[in-house]
Amino acid sequence: MSDTSPAKRQETTSPAENAVELIDITKRFGAFVANERVNLRVKRGEIHAIIGENGAGKTTLMNILFGLLQPDEGRIVLNGRETIVTDPATAIDAGLGMVHQHFKLVPSLSVADNVFLGMEIRRNGLIDQAAQIEKTRELSERFGLKVEPQERVSLLSVGIEQRIEILKVLARGARTIILDEPTAVLTPQESRELFQTLRGFVADGMTVIFISHHLEEVMEVSDTVTVLRHGKHVATRPTAELTKDDLVRMMVGRNVSFDRRRRTKTAGEVVLDVKNLWARDERRLPALRDASFTVRAGEIVGIAGVAGNGQTELAEVLAGLRPASHGSAMLKGRDLTALTPAAIRDAGFAHVPGDRMVRGVDGSASISSNLLMGRQFKAPWSRNGVLDWDGVAKQAVEMIKRFDIRARGPEDTVKRLSGGNIQKVVLAREFTNDADFLLIDQPTRGVDIGAQESIHDEIMRQRAAGRAVLVISVQLDELLTLADRILVMFNGRIMGEVEGDSADSERIGMMMAGLNASAASEVAA
Amino acid sequence: MSDGLRAFYGQIIALAIALALGALIIVLIDESPINVFMTLVRGAFGDQSKIAGTLLQTTPILICGIAACIGLRGGMFNVGIEGQLFLGGFAAAWVGFALPLPAGLHMVVGMAAAVLAGAAWVAIPAYFRARYNTNEVVSTILSNYVAVLLTSYFTIFLFKRPGGWSETPPILPTAYLPELFSFSRLNWGLIIGLALAFFVAWFFRQTAKGYSISMVGSAPKFAEYGGIDVKRQGFLVLLASGAVGGLAGGVETLGIHHRFMEGFAPGFGFDGLIAALLANGSPIITIFTALFFGALRNGSLLLETDTSASREIITVIQALIILSVSAQVLMKRRGDSTAGERRWKF
Amino acid sequence: MEILDKLLNVALLVATLRTTAPILLVALGGSFTTKAGIFNIGLEGQMLVGAFFAVLGSIWSGSALIGVACGVVAALVFALAFAVLVVSFRANEVVVGLALNILAGGMTISLMKAIFGTRGSIVGQKIVGLPKVQIPGARDLLGSWAPLVSGYTPMVYVAFVAVPFLVLFYKRTRLGLYIRVVGEKPEAAEALGISITRVRYTASLLCGLLAGLAGAHLSLGYITMFTENMSSGRGFMAVAILIFSAGDPLKVLAGCLLFGFADAFSLRLQTFGFPSYLILAVPYLVALVALFALSYRSRPRIIRETLESMKKMLSVETKPAETGNNLPR
Repeated sequence: MSDTSPAKRQETTSPAENAVELIDITKRFGAFVANERVNLRVKRGEIHAIIGENGAGKTTLMNILFGLLQPDEGRIVLNGRETIVTDPATAIDAGLGMVHQHFKLVPSLSVADNVFLGMEIRRNGLIDQAAQIEKTRELSERFGLKVEPQERVSLLSVGIEQRIEILKVLARGARTIILDEPTAVLTPQESRELFQTLRGFVADGMTVIFISHHLEEVMEVSDTVTVLRHGKHVATRPTAELTKDDLVRMMVGRNVSFDRRRRTKTAGEVVLDVKNLWARDERRLPALRDASFTVRAGEIVGIAGVAGNGQTELAEVLAGLRPASHGSAMLKGRDLTALTPAAIRDAGFAHVPGDRMVRGVDGSASISSNLLMGRQFKAPWSRNGVLDWDGVAKQAVEMIKRFDIRARGPEDTVKRLSGGNIQKVVLAREFTNDADFLLIDQPTRGVDIGAQESIHDEIMRQRAAGRAVLVISVQLDELLTLADRILVMFNGRIMGEVEGDSADSERIGMMMAGLNASAASEVAA
Repeated sequence: MSDGLRAFYGQIIALAIALALGALIIVLIDESPINVFMTLVRGAFGDQSKIAGTLLQTTPILICGIAACIGLRGGMFNVGIEGQLFLGGFAAAWVGFALPLPAGLHMVVGMAAAVLAGAAWVAIPAYFRARYNTNEVVSTILSNYVAVLLTSYFTIFLFKRPGGWSETPPILPTAYLPELFSFSRLNWGLIIGLALAFFVAWFFRQTAKGYSISMVGSAPKFAEYGGIDVKRQGFLVLLASGAVGGLAGGVETLGIHHRFMEGFAPGFGFDGLIAALLANGSPIITIFTALFFGALRNGSLLLETDTSASREIITVIQALIILSVSAQVLMKRRGDSTAGERRWKF
Repeated sequence: MEILDKLLNVALLVATLRTTAPILLVALGGSFTTKAGIFNIGLEGQMLVGAFFAVLGSIWSGSALIGVACGVVAALVFALAFAVLVVSFRANEVVVGLALNILAGGMTISLMKAIFGTRGSIVGQKIVGLPKVQIPGARDLLGSWAPLVSGYTPMVYVAFVAVPFLVLFYKRTRLGLYIRVVGEKPEAAEALGISITRVRYTASLLCGLLAGLAGAHLSLGYITMFTENMSSGRGFMAVAILIFSAGDPLKVLAGCLLFGFADAFSLRLQTFGFPSYLILAVPYLVALVALFALSYRSRPRIIRETLESMKKMLSVETKPAETGNNLPR
């Protein structure tokens, strides 16, 4: 560690081959080890993908590299110079730039103001907006990232927001760019444009570090792959030497098959009948356009699509949490759009919400208390308005057992549990309501593989019990595993429908990108 | 459990810091902290009548504290208890002097009028908070000023006792709240306050409605998703809180003053809010914090005569306690406040 | 008769500007914290200690200027306490603000008793008030309209001149920009190495500065005295204005002028024999009505789709999608 060690001196004198070296990095959060002696070497001028499941420690590692977190152990060497990255400013000085998964742009400011935020060009003490606009235009042209410098960010699409984030990094003179799951919010076309831009960067001698859990992307764009699993470094290899199967095996540590669940046809009568449903988002722009579909008893219908294409609005309209602006959604003959959330529940509707910590649970309350929600006025949970907490706790113990919730007991506070166990608390509540219709939004988001399987088992069990199930997921694999039929949403519209048995991901991917069903099959064919 | 213990120690440390700062201020105004402290204790618990006086001061603080607890548990910051107290006090007094009724019934009708007046006074801010998310902190604070001026106007321009000070005619004895002992004006108000504290605690813990309201307070989106009508509950919570605030006013006029007069109960509403905050929204703990503040208040009367310090020094001490406690513990229940909605509002 | 009418109107306008000044100063102070994303209900207390210590400083030093400085320092101390608790200790801002207001009330009364041995108010010859500023040439140029621009105490000018400065501050200075960013998107500030803590502290202290000036104006401006709780809810009215203006200086000015006018107008009504208690309630009622009316206006509205609008959207919005460029969200 000392500055005078021979190895160190040698590193500083020879031109470094590696842009970034992380050596034996360990990071703990309480008892949880997010990174355990992780090593990462990124060569100058390559696109280096870091791949791993949710919770494998990718983002933690990058936050350490960028100075947002401090490692408990280990060293960081940037361009051959050992550096203690105390804060992002140090990282930026060393030529690093990070594009976060969640964009950090200020909506009320212009593109140029955002790009130069934190390094404003000033004249006579005042910000020189003309100069900033000019410089933004220059950067935009030089790197082929098309933006309009004077536009307000609040009016722009996600794809353009990402360009602004990249421009921010470039404006700070970054030569090594870290992108955290950059494609999660992009359409395939936007992703492709992004990859082109990234290739342009490396051709220019820059270095790109790219976090993903999307195998195909990694195969397509990266030169080298580093795989992390449960916070540990598994391997670093040139991409060309690897197959997709190799990557999957290294990521999950065993062969998992995204095998379709076996099933018999059980679809019965129509339970949910949605006709010409429209709704608007917070900005009062139409977000759900003309959705029409049915869900039958004993059938799982999947809704696929990139996040933010109207799925949330659809779920909220069905659950009565957002007003519909037109159309109907009949659940066994009752129009949900005219009912309150309570009446919708009473009509036989169970809902596993996508935003689990906000909608799905009260994190500060106990498991018992969370399981009570929605039934507090009903016998046997309460009589004459007085709650039977003993009965509630007893039932909670049963549910903890049945749904395999890892907790100390019914009085355990929910926010202490892991993501998967919190999701099981939600499922336990919703699946025991004897509802005819289940709306499950993102069944396994932020849930580890083991819990994912048991959640899928439980959903299949509900199907077998004759329930009508609507599953919304941004993970296509999940829908291919579960759904009898898959509907694809784009820009608030349902682009087409695919039978689960004959579904191919390419065709669905086309529709996710906005091509309609017939066009998609032509291209795919 | 260790969390609870840490929070408890935190409270103790906070209290110590507040008292130390208070002592410092007392030194600055050229008094001896020990002298002030001993005077406060003597003034609060010196003899039988002093203790009764303390309990007398505790009663309105306790009832106002319960009003604040109801709001806090439902996620509402009712800072307008002071105004509800004034309106409730005036309404009870009006029934008392203008509406002759048989004994007993008269008192009950007077109390009911106080409760209704308190609820009515908060109804508009409550409606706008529930329906349009209008910040209830500001609207209830501003309505306090209007309440005080309005009741003063009633008292001085419309119902002034002929030849008297700025006060209404005395209420008829049929409307008096019965006194508990012969040696003090201590009355049934204290019993009402204690019963209410236990009832509210039971309500939140054991009833389905109470559960629903607590959920609206701690996780509004979750409550909405679970089928609870969040807006309606929010409205009702503020209404109930205002009703209890009005009740406090009724207890004061029917139990002690037997008339309504200008500035009849200064600061009880704020003391109650502070007591409830210090108790973290628990009605049972509010009994103790209200007793503490009642003792401070009663002790401060002696402070005014026996030392050179003013009785407002106890307000300073109360504020310091809340400030030091807020840094320690209240952050754990941020959901109780409007702070979480900040980003929505600005 | 016509001339008299005109004079009355000018006098009313002058009175409006005068009564607007203190609330404008404190509201502009609150604009800093509002923009920085802090709900500052403690303005009232900052103003009150400002008023008290301004009188104290003025008596001790015999100088109005030093008095103002004392008032500002006292308000800054309160603002600092607010920042320490809210920003560093993450205490609930409503609780801290209210407690500081209560502290200000209790402290000023206690100190008044300790220092002057009186309750109620401090009056007397020894308080040196702020001088009135006569603008040279105003009378010659404007004639009977001169009082509109000349003859106010300095804080009135400070308040109104501060408005354009603040507009420029938020648009064109680095600190102003950072305050907006911290309030609007703290994650963005953090990611760029802008210290949220430092910006929020700065905003709180700037707020204390203007609140202190507002307080000094109350006790050393047109009347030279201090009375118990003399800020009488102006700080809370300022918070109401800040809620519906979102801290935007021009909207703050508009809101404050409304209050100033209501204040001046109701004082005029008093001379027609309206009961003073009801007159005094007018500014609070104006604040409440404005608060309610503007939140009603900003309510979320449900838009129902008509066949017409659906057709339009279906035909327009799918086109760019199919060409594959500029994909909307």
